[in-house]
Amino acid sequence: MINRLASIRPGIKNIDDLRAHLQIAIELEHSTIPPYLCALYSIPDGMNVQAAQVIRSVVMEEMLHLTLAANILNAIGGSPDLDNPDFIPGYPTRLPDSSAHFKVHLERFSKRAIKTFMKLERPAKAGAMPEADNYQTIGQFYAAIEKGLKEICRHNRHFNRDRSIQVKPEHYYGGGGGVIVVDDLDSAMEAIKVIVAQGEGLDHTLFDGDRKIFGENREFAHYYRFNEIRRERFYSDHDSVKSNPSGAPLTVDWDQVYPMKINPRAADYPEGSELRRKSDEFNVGYTTLLKNLHDTFNGRPDWMMKSVGDMYKLKYLAVELMRVPCNDKGETAGPAFEYQKAE
Amino acid sequence: MKEDNYDVVIVGAGIAGAILAKELTEKKKRVLLLEAGKASDDYLSYLEVFYTALAKVPNSPYPNNPNAPSQNVLNLGPIPAGAPNLNGYMVQYGPVPFGSDYTRVSGGTTMHWLGHSFRMLPNDFKLHSKYGHGVDWPISYDDLKPFYEKSEWEIGVSADVEDQIYPGMGNNFFGKNYYYPMKSLPASYLDQKVAGGINGMKVKLGKNAYPLSVITTPQGRNSTPNKGYKPIGASWDNNIGQRCEGNSNCVPICPVQAKYNALKTLNKADQKYLTVINQAVASNLIIDPETNRIKGVTYKQYQSAQSSDHTSHTVQGKIFVIAAHAVETAKLLLASSAANSSDLVGRCLMDHPTMLTWGLMPEDIGSYRGPGATSHIPTFRDGAFRKEHSAFIVPVDNWGWLWGEFSPGSDVTRAINQLNLFGKKLRGYLDGFVSRQFGLQFEFEQLPQHANRVTIDPNYLDQLGNYRPVVHYDISDYTRAAMEAAKGVSDMIFAKLGVEDYTELQPRRYRLSPMERGQAIHSRAQGIWSALIAWERTNQIRSLTKTRNHGITKTCTSSDRAACRLLELPILR
Repeated sequence: MINRLASIRPGIKNIDDLRAHLQIAIELEHSTIPPYLCALYSIPDGMNVQAAQVIRSVVMEEMLHLTLAANILNAIGGSPDLDNPDFIPGYPTRLPDSSAHFKVHLERFSKRAIKTFMKLERPAKAGAMPEADNYQTIGQFYAAIEKGLKEICRHNRHFNRDRSIQVKPEHYYGGGGGVIVVDDLDSAMEAIKVIVAQGEGLDHTLFDGDRKIFGENREFAHYYRFNEIRRERFYSDHDSVKSNPSGAPLTVDWDQVYPMKINPRAADYPEGSELRRKSDEFNVGYTTLLKNLHDTFNGRPDWMMKSVGDMYKLKYLAVELMRVPCNDKGETAGPAFEYQKAE
Repeated sequence: MKEDNYDVVIVGAGIAGAILAKELTEKKKRVLLLEAGKASDDYLSYLEVFYTALAKVPNSPYPNNPNAPSQNVLNLGPIPAGAPNLNGYMVQYGPVPFGSDYTRVSGGTTMHWLGHSFRMLPNDFKLHSKYGHGVDWPISYDDLKPFYEKSEWEIGVSADVEDQIYPGMGNNFFGKNYYYPMKSLPASYLDQKVAGGINGMKVKLGKNAYPLSVITTPQGRNSTPNKGYKPIGASWDNNIGQRCEGNSNCVPICPVQAKYNALKTLNKADQKYLTVINQAVASNLIIDPETNRIKGVTYKQYQSAQSSDHTSHTVQGKIFVIAAHAVETAKLLLASSAANSSDLVGRCLMDHPTMLTWGLMPEDIGSYRGPGATSHIPTFRDGAFRKEHSAFIVPVDNWGWLWGEFSPGSDVTRAINQLNLFGKKLRGYLDGFVSRQFGLQFEFEQLPQHANRVTIDPNYLDQLGNYRPVVHYDISDYTRAAMEAAKGVSDMIFAKLGVEDYTELQPRRYRLSPMERGQAIHSRAQGIWSALIAWERTNQIRSLTKTRNHGITKTCTSSDRAACRLLELPILR
């Protein structure tokens, strides 16, 4: 993923730059979804309920961010591209974290996975615009988009005002607030604010932006919710952003997990084997989902409905894989999230 | 809060009690809610019990609680002449066993209801003057209409007004700008096949021909919201259950809480003004001899379902609402000798007797997908035939032969044990057989009959020393005649759709010779197969609701009940 970020030069000078940035925003939001899903699906139903709840709420927000980025891109005459072999990063993928970067794996729910998730969601000031040749933080990247929107789309320039291609609340549901229809600069800025605020904590408080923006119950921003899981303890009213949680204990059973091997791939299994067939089935299913979402974001918002059923089906396929032992370390197979068209 | 300080004391945390608690606390009234069963935070544990239950009957997920027992349909059985059947919680004198059950936990029977949320029709309120049977209500459909609307928005009913076309609905059934809080759930593939086959087909009942229609069923189940409504998902994680997922076990428990239950309403009550005491079984109402008004309620509080150890308490308040379900409410009033100068308390007990027919479709119809039923045939809800026999509604069943044959489990057993199939052949056989399974339900209106009643008897007490319900119940000729007519309707539909009738070809079938048709219900009351048939009777929970100042008992479905409760609210303003 870091290569994709590096592929664009910082700064947005024209509408094409802005569209290119938004396409990468979509890819960026997507890139964390498979890792979150692997951790989530590796928790058997009814186990580690609180941990599953946090991961689920985060992954649903990432899906919302993806949709919002697509709505903005659509609104300014771009065409989101999800049906593309390069859309899915190979795992492990690398993401930026200040001047360094870190690896993100497809892995089961574990302390290590939670630590990675905390890095993904770490609150950070956007910082000054980079003087280097590329973005060093995701914060910088989104700050550039905000600035670019304000400048390039001033006086609502470039907005096509075509609501028929926007994904609207009746197409989209789930946690993390509602989808925003983008048809002018104000709504575009509102959408960007949701993307930035939910992940990182508004004004660097413990709480995320939902309350301000959607009037929902306030929730801890992702980073802190993951920290609660990691420390097996809730934050109390007396805790600050700098402390670790010191409230009531939160039960986590790190062993109640399907022991999925790290970064599974279809090529791990011999051609013609049952596992290969299952793995292929998952990959084809995921690729089909991306194709349907691609169409959804390119003029057929009502097709979102089709994707919902596909998502459930993928969950079942993923869990099936996670139940099948695949090596002598006692590990099981898992979903590979590889681009694979049906034959 | 001092114990004598309550504005309203409510007995029962089901849909009626929860709606009242919510409405009253919003108006800053101090409310005490007494609930006989467990608290509301056990949903996930109910699911665990459900997953491991061998017979997934309506009450299977909920605790077996001898201190607040519930009827279990597995205990249904034939009633010996002259002696009651004592197998379950109810003492059943029959002659027909009362087949419905209710759930004594926080949330009440909405925990296991199917969610179907029909309104009654205008003629249902004037059955006697219109058709010469039953009684007229002291109120009309129009009186109840605004409260139906309120109830539908509280429950979160999914339906499109333009689809809802019923016989005898008049021209202003829905208000001009009314819409349900959520859009209709999509009709299943099976529904579409059936609708395509029989829409417009004419069926003769008596002298008249009635054109069949298949329409979607309004239900308390999350779908796409309309303006002004926000779906409520699972109590433990609102990201779950925002839409019905088609898990197909609405009864006995929705695993994601996409189906409405009264806990959702209870959670909305202003907790500042609400006190809830769980595991508190109301046992007696204390009547002030001077004013003849209720001034207190005695309840027995227990710590554990395993032990009868309990303490007795009395609470006082200004107004008491007994919202404990038809049977329990009548029991409590009778135990307290309250409100019964008319001798009508506990009388006119009703159910909705159900007849199932099932058969094999000529092609794959995708059975066993989605909620219990997404469409129904409204044609026989009203019409001139009501002079001869009762009305009936016909849900088109998405769950194939589940209730009739315990399919698909029984098909697997039979294929292995009797057909000696295994592996691919077994899979192929089941693929071809199970996905064609089709079933209709016929649910019949029952008239108020004085002899159908709940009473109490000091010889029959539960573990806490509270009365068990003693039930006398029968099905009248008016309803039995409708069953016979319904079997004729079923035969015509099966013939039109090319359905091969299996209703009479299986063991434990009810034989529908003309003489026996009316006996369909209780001749099936043997063993687990028939116990499962009782499931669908829980679609609409019947309750006796005392209408104010009339001394007449009336029945309501659960959404009616919510409306009735709301209707009584102005007293408190």
